[in-house]
Amino acid sequence: MLNVGVIIKLEPDFSEGNVSYNSDGTLNRAETKNILGPHSAIACNAAFYCKVKYGARISIGTMGPPIAESALKQAQVLTDAEELNLYSDRLFAGADTLATAEVLKNGVEKMFGADKMDIVFSGHRASDGETGQTGPQTAWKLGYTFLGNVMDFDIDLDRKVIVAKRLISLQGMDTIIEEIECPLPVFITIDPSYKSAFSTVSQRLGANKYSKQGRKKSENYAQFLKTYDSQKLDLDPKLVGLPGSPTIVYRVERIPRAKTNRKTAIIDPSNPDNLTPVVTKIIEIARGK
Amino acid sequence: MEQFDVAIVGGGSAGLSALKKLSDLNKSAILIEAGDKIGTKNVSGGILYSKNDPTGRIFNVEDVFGEDFESSAPIERLIKKYYLHATSGNKIFTMDLTPLHEYKTNFGFSVLLNRLNPWFAERASESAEKQGGGIITGVHVSDIQWIENKTIVRTNELEDFQVKSIIAADGINSEVAEITSARSKFNPEEVYFGVKVIIKLPEKIIEERFHLDSSEGSAHLLAGDITLNHVGGGFLYTNRETLSLGAVYHYNSLLSNPVAPAQLVDELIKNPLVSEYIKDEVPTRGENDDLSKEDQLKVQLSVSKLIKTYNDLRYKYFSKNNGGLIESGRFNNTEEIKSRIDSIKQDLTEKYGTKFVNNYVELEYSAKLIPDGKRCVMKRPYYNNVLFIGDAAGRGIFIGPKIEGINVGIDDAVRASIAVSRSIEKNNFDSDYLGNYFQSMINESPYTRQMIKIDEGYLSLFLDLVKDISFSSANPGFEFGLRMMKNKRFRETALRLANILGYKRILPIIESERAYVKVPMQLADKLGKVVTSSYTPEIPALSERIAKLQYNDDTEPHITVNDKRSEFMKKLILLCPTKCYSLEGKDVMLQHEGCVECGTCSIGTRWRHPKGEKGIRYRYG
Ligand SMILES: Cc1cc2nc3c(=O)[nH]c(=O)nc-3n(C[C@H](O)[C@H](O)[C@H](O)COP(=O)(O)OP(=O)(O)OC[C@H]3O[C@@H](n4cnc5c(N)ncnc54)[C@H](O)[C@@H]3O)c2cc1C
Ligand code: SF4
Repeated sequence: MLNVGVIIKLEPDFSEGNVSYNSDGTLNRAETKNILGPHSAIACNAAFYCKVKYGARISIGTMGPPIAESALKQAQVLTDAEELNLYSDRLFAGADTLATAEVLKNGVEKMFGADKMDIVFSGHRASDGETGQTGPQTAWKLGYTFLGNVMDFDIDLDRKVIVAKRLISLQGMDTIIEEIECPLPVFITIDPSYKSAFSTVSQRLGANKYSKQGRKKSENYAQFLKTYDSQKLDLDPKLVGLPGSPTIVYRVERIPRAKTNRKTAIIDPSNPDNLTPVVTKIIEIARGK
Repeated sequence: MEQFDVAIVGGGSAGLSALKKLSDLNKSAILIEAGDKIGTKNVSGGILYSKNDPTGRIFNVEDVFGEDFESSAPIERLIKKYYLHATSGNKIFTMDLTPLHEYKTNFGFSVLLNRLNPWFAERASESAEKQGGGIITGVHVSDIQWIENKTIVRTNELEDFQVKSIIAADGINSEVAEITSARSKFNPEEVYFGVKVIIKLPEKIIEERFHLDSSEGSAHLLAGDITLNHVGGGFLYTNRETLSLGAVYHYNSLLSNPVAPAQLVDELIKNPLVSEYIKDEVPTRGENDDLSKEDQLKVQLSVSKLIKTYNDLRYKYFSKNNGGLIESGRFNNTEEIKSRIDSIKQDLTEKYGTKFVNNYVELEYSAKLIPDGKRCVMKRPYYNNVLFIGDAAGRGIFIGPKIEGINVGIDDAVRASIAVSRSIEKNNFDSDYLGNYFQSMINESPYTRQMIKIDEGYLSLFLDLVKDISFSSANPGFEFGLRMMKNKRFRETALRLANILGYKRILPIIESERAYVKVPMQLADKLGKVVTSSYTPEIPALSERIAKLQYNDDTEPHITVNDKRSEFMKKLILLCPTKCYSLEGKDVMLQHEGCVECGTCSIGTRWRHPKGEKGIRYRYG
């Protein structure tokens, strides 16, 4: 049995109409809707692929306040997960990526009654001001091989190895795809370009069956939910929350508006005649005038 | 290579019924549908019938999907009344043909296939999953090969797989039929062309206007000058909170007298009877000329939002239980909703110059070919271990005002399922064993009989219904014929003779411009009442209709024109319902992006359905 863990995050919904800002331009967290982060959702898809293709069982974990349960529920819809874990404690407040990784490491170690995990997925990064370090740091703490930017993978269950394709940027010059084989367990941050490829009839039928099951399970997600505080996770209070966070946020700078000399003209498209000058302009630009 | 017992190609009502039935016979089957979701590719008029027939068993929708069909399925309205309107200018002569609708009928519901088929799919996949089968959407079957006794299915999206038999339910433009060469492509003589629009109208207004009880509906057929001199006619069916308004014409008649399909619908809309039926009070934005361009746009935006709120509230107010507005606690009572609607209306009128005018609201434009079973039913609906059902087999009943395809496909599906199930049990998929048996079962279907022979009972009933109409003043020739037909003995002999001659010989007489255009016009002229419309409907341009459709465009065209200079393809410039063809120099060129997959051009092209998930996505169907 392949044991797959997924680390997810509840994030503000930045899509139109759901996000709200304070007058100083910072995020109004109380007013903004929260959803399962888009990168977390992709990590869930990768785990679901393991369930359909390799019969994996899935455990999902998240660190956050009690409302983060809703992210776990959404993740269960996507993965048909057998287990949901919420790591929640006031002590965790103010955690930076390192302190978060400490919590997640202990969380992963407790998944499936402390059974060893074969793969742990996390999103590429979070969309609300995270720096993409949580994943690698958790991997390091767990002592798992870390594979970043994975866009495709195959698992050899007999040999217990994974063959993964990773997107690598060569100092911003070029992007190449690296294929890498390594023994399990691994910690994977999944690339945003990942798409599950169910290429056989059985896989498609399996995907249908499990997603239906996942939707059904999620209606009673509380049955699958385990909540851990710092004690239950056997955490050292010095290593979590603010005390465990070496990062100091000195000041947050607003990104200054770029100066432009653009002129805006609004064109009413209901009268096609108005479009002629636009087309003429585009042609002029295209000709390099 | 993966192996399965049965693959069903196509998830329209026929294919879904086959999946349900086979699963209920404890057989495992997979259904492959090209559309991204079930229902997005299917179009009907449509009334779904449940029928009975003294001459043989009919397998009905409730036999396949459960006796709770009426109470659980997303059906629109139970059709209780059935009228034929003969039209000539603003004169209309109406005949009540309800007994024809009730003939051999258990029930007939108006349906929208993008609501009904997903419900079929839910039930079918529940049963299928218990047998290890199921539905796979977004996959397009591109080829079937027989290699060393193996049947291999090839798709654009998945790895090849092997099956023991195939049920082809892939519709009128069946690629499986072409791949297997089980039949040739339907020619224009054998098919009808259907074009339809869905019109929005509040639930309670429909009931009031058509004099209907809640959940009941009526069907209105139209013939006469609205046909623009084509063989066929118009239909208007009441749904729960929409109307299906469309027209069906013999393809040959469109070829000899080409007209843009949209115009055929427009002609219906312009008819005063129809325009009054579809009328609603529609808000239209006013002008704010005194404002700057920028401010005008801002105002337009807020007006749009306000109109949306107004429409939402109004449609709910006019629907059953006020659309849950009171239940949800948003309002305390009906008066409160009404006064909220009125106050928005007042705001819109006074502050923003919005006008509330008589017009109508179109939601979706669609088109599709329909098999005329009496001309194109497959004599041998199988090839090797492939059985053809529904539109794919050219099976449909098309007689006078009668269009039945959904119920026929369901009946076919049961017969195919029984045949395949028997083959699985004996592990014998030879065409002698499977195909012959299926053929014999299909031949037993009363529907098959109706495709080969005139249903004398139906025709007699029709003649009884029109016997009191004074044709003398309308058409002397018809009067003579009718008088003869009224005589029971003569009628029996005549019908027998007609059946001996066969459909082929008498069709040109029954299905003629005279029957569909001239006689109805004469009736309307002589006996009809003048109907006037209180407004002129603002009919959207074709480009606006297409803009409302949803597509997932493929970069590659799914259609290739055989001969760019043929006379046939030149006619398609006008006949393609979404104007995908145009003339460039001497060549007819295709722009596939607006294609609604109706199949009208298929006879002059290499015609394929788009790849999985690609192409048109109907929302009503
Ligand atoms: C305007 C109009 C009015 C009508 N009125 C009525 C009426 O009132 N009553 C009535 O009973 N009938 C009516 N009909 C006829 C009825 O709609 C059809 O007979 C019926 O819907 C056909 O069902 P089907 O399952 O055979 O085919 P379809 O509904 O055409 O389904 C075929 C399916 O196969 C899929 N498919 C095709 N090729 C492939 C492939 N290669 N791989 C995978 N999938 C594929 C398609 O996407 C489609 O979903 C009307 C039809 C029209 C157009
Ligand atoms: S291109 Fe052909 S199939 Fe497509 S809408 Fe036009 S006539 Fe119909």
